[in-house]
Amino acid sequence: MFRVCDIMVCAMARLIKNGDTVFHGVSSHMPMIATLLAKATHAPDAVHLNIPGGVDPKSPKLVSFTSAGSELFETAPAVFPLMDVFDLSMRGGLDVAFLSGVQFDNAGTVNASVIGDYYSPKVRLPGGAGSAVLIPTAKRAVIWRTKHDRRTFVQNVDFMTARGNVSFVVTPLCIFAMYEGELILDSIHPTSTIEEVAQNTGFPIRYFELKSTPAPTDEELRLLQMIDPQDLRNIEFR
Amino acid sequence: MNKLVNLHEAIATIPDGAVVGLGGNTLNRAPMAAVFEMVRQKKKSLALVKTAGAMDIDILCLAGCVKSVDAGFISYESEYSLARHYRASVQKGLVKANEHACYTVISALRAASYGIPFMPVRGLVTSDLIDVNPYFKRITDPFTGDPVTLVSAIRPDYAILHVHKADIQGNALILGPKYEDVLFSRAAKKVILTAEEIVDEGFFRCSETKADIPGFLVESVVHVPHGAAPCACHGVYGLNHESIRKFLTIKNDSELPLYLEVCHV
Repeated sequence: MFRVCDIMVCAMARLIKNGDTVFHGVSSHMPMIATLLAKATHAPDAVHLNIPGGVDPKSPKLVSFTSAGSELFETAPAVFPLMDVFDLSMRGGLDVAFLSGVQFDNAGTVNASVIGDYYSPKVRLPGGAGSAVLIPTAKRAVIWRTKHDRRTFVQNVDFMTARGNVSFVVTPLCIFAMYEGELILDSIHPTSTIEEVAQNTGFPIRYFELKSTPAPTDEELRLLQMIDPQDLRNIEFR
Repeated sequence: MNKLVNLHEAIATIPDGAVVGLGGNTLNRAPMAAVFEMVRQKKKSLALVKTAGAMDIDILCLAGCVKSVDAGFISYESEYSLARHYRASVQKGLVKANEHACYTVISALRAASYGIPFMPVRGLVTSDLIDVNPYFKRITDPFTGDPVTLVSAIRPDYAILHVHKADIQGNALILGPKYEDVLFSRAAKKVILTAEEIVDEGFFRCSETKADIPGFLVESVVHVPHGAAPCACHGVYGLNHESIRKFLTIKNDSELPLYLEVCHV
């Protein structure tokens, strides 16, 4: 059977088109590996942008403790650091931004800030990092989240860190796509079912047709092994 | 001018309540030796500034040195997960979390470096962050009539940066990712450098590679090999996983002196 992390990383890779400028930030091993996979398969001319600023690092030796370190810098031919990536997005030049969060509603609102009150929170979350400025400005904001339950996909978020312009949400169970301002079910992973998705989602599930997320191909799995021999794509599930 | 001092002297100049910007990003080239010295000197009520922080912010919160944190993201990354002491301090009301988008920290520092009071931020349009934080304001663009969000300038009293090479006058070079360090050096009133290596005064004059930070912006230089450890320092050393793991087992500040003594003399 396929592993959920492989399904998710391959699904994220396929959302990248050839020629796209693509950014991921900290704590982003899955999108980092997805970007490297896309460049090794259907999107060789996609441009890999990141926090340390190494543009298109070649065969980076990935490490477990960061997705924003030297490994993305060492083999890059040019330097385009975080502040330049933000500026690029502000002027309309960033195609894809990978972001995450802790709570999401079906309008694509992201909460990465607090559970409870902002000033005296029940839980202080890490913060939205670039979300609040990248979700409105990147051409396609792709959310990934490795939890899919009713505390994550909720009717109403506790706090709106960012809203709007989310194109896709990739979860361990399925992919949601934005359609006329509403997240609708796009495809269900081969490891899950519509019942499981519905039971674990706090908002009503709507869809046009029931599709299955295409499974990773042998070639994709082979490349993933080369790109990520330490299996860091599974780090959020360990 | 010879700006070389020891770590104690450099950090002793920082008063309680100062606004302090920290270089590096998460566990990459954070100025940890200087952070540990702030813990030892029991600084109080610091207002910390960083785009994305991890152990540096976490240990200062645990030690009770912090009043507020202006940042876009405070957490260890995937492997080591949440910054528990930061989180607990905020939840107990001891530390104020001033959440930014990372870009608004950059914009606020740019405003300070440009000598202007605020900076328009294009992307920040639909976020509760605008309404709950006094450092953001929605106004009408006087030229177009469109709404625009502003962020107030952040001018740190001190920026503390760990660099690869510095001479005794404060000319300094960072190898590998520079993150926001160079911007911090322009935005802050005073800059304290810790350096892996002190180079001769002729080094940068004779080199094709010039310093990123000119000495005239720098207040003091401290020679601290391994000054980012247990964080990683590009091209010199990786992360000291054992030390990070040991720190993450600490439950309260009474265990801090032993940690600092054993791990980082």
